[in-house]
Amino acid sequence: MDRNQITKWLKAPAKMANKYSLHAIYFCTGCGIIEVPPVITSRWDAERFGIIPVATPRQANLFLITGYVSVKTLKPIIRTYEQMPEPKYTVGFGSCPINGGMYWDSYNTIKHLDKYIPIDGWIAGCMPRPEAIFIAVTHLWTLIDKDMANGYIRYRENYESYRRNQEMALGKLEWPPLYPTHSNVKAVENE
Amino acid sequence: MNESIKEQLELTFKAVVVTIPEDTRIVVNVKKDQVLAVLRFLKDRKFDYLALVSCIDWIEEKEFELVYILTRYMKADEEHTDQKSLHLIVKTRISRQGPQSETATSIFSNAEPYEREIHELFGISFEGHPRLTPLFLERDYEIPPFRKDFDTRKYVEEVFDKIPFVEDKDK
Repeated sequence: MDRNQITKWLKAPAKMANKYSLHAIYFCTGCGIIEVPPVITSRWDAERFGIIPVATPRQANLFLITGYVSVKTLKPIIRTYEQMPEPKYTVGFGSCPINGGMYWDSYNTIKHLDKYIPIDGWIAGCMPRPEAIFIAVTHLWTLIDKDMANGYIRYRENYESYRRNQEMALGKLEWPPLYPTHSNVKAVENE
Repeated sequence: MNESIKEQLELTFKAVVVTIPEDTRIVVNVKKDQVLAVLRFLKDRKFDYLALVSCIDWIEEKEFELVYILTRYMKADEEHTDQKSLHLIVKTRISRQGPQSETATSIFSNAEPYEREIHELFGISFEGHPRLTPLFLERDYEIPPFRKDFDTRKYVEEVFDKIPFVEDKDK
């Protein structure tokens, strides 16, 4: 352990533990997932950075979205994100989640992922190298230290807007809202 | 082999036009009502694997072209050759107005997902298909999105670009 960080550990042990044990949900979207197997296996060995892929969103706190997001994929992305326990961090990987990339004019690909779920960081490139994931992770550590990786807090605060955007893209959603929204609080009060 | 299949096809069916663009390709242009008969004829002659059903939108000619690609696997008792396998490409044209065709699922059951896909993306309905339900798409489209008159730019501007950014609003 780095001796310089002892004060940090004493101040906020939970935060430091979160930071050094990022459990990434193994969720494959688009072509970027091809970079993940070399990252988690012996060539680049992501466990040096405390990243380990997990099978279910209930155990995960890092969500890598690795490629273009079609309308059909957006639905499981939202459901997965909402199932993850807090604190949770999302990183968009590749140029397609950022602004559509080469799917700028596509009839079935959503262009800006941050309209639907909050994103803490982006990795630009098509494709980014596996090293870029580690650069992103070290940046994410800095953001967590400074309490700037606050996507899950922003999601709670702006949930109504996010939910509205999700419904604009997907039509009526078949699951109930994660947080109370203005409209359904009103409905409960009226009852 | 190529020539004999060409001769057989031309003898059996009157309206087919057979061309051989390459050694391993035979293109068979048939009328709409003869497709199933030609497919069944070729299946009986050991072309028993339907590799693909595809569709092309010829908007200027106001027609859709359905393309069936047939090939065959080497059999267990066959001697190995270095020759590449022969592909038979069966093409047919159907009208763009109320496009309709007969399903090939009665001959090749693996035509089912291909025809569902074509139904969804080009709006061609296949008579006798067991389930023409949506396959890929989540949203409703006025014009099926793979037709040439579907304006993707306009669609994206009207749908995805209209969705506002969440964080910008708060600033």
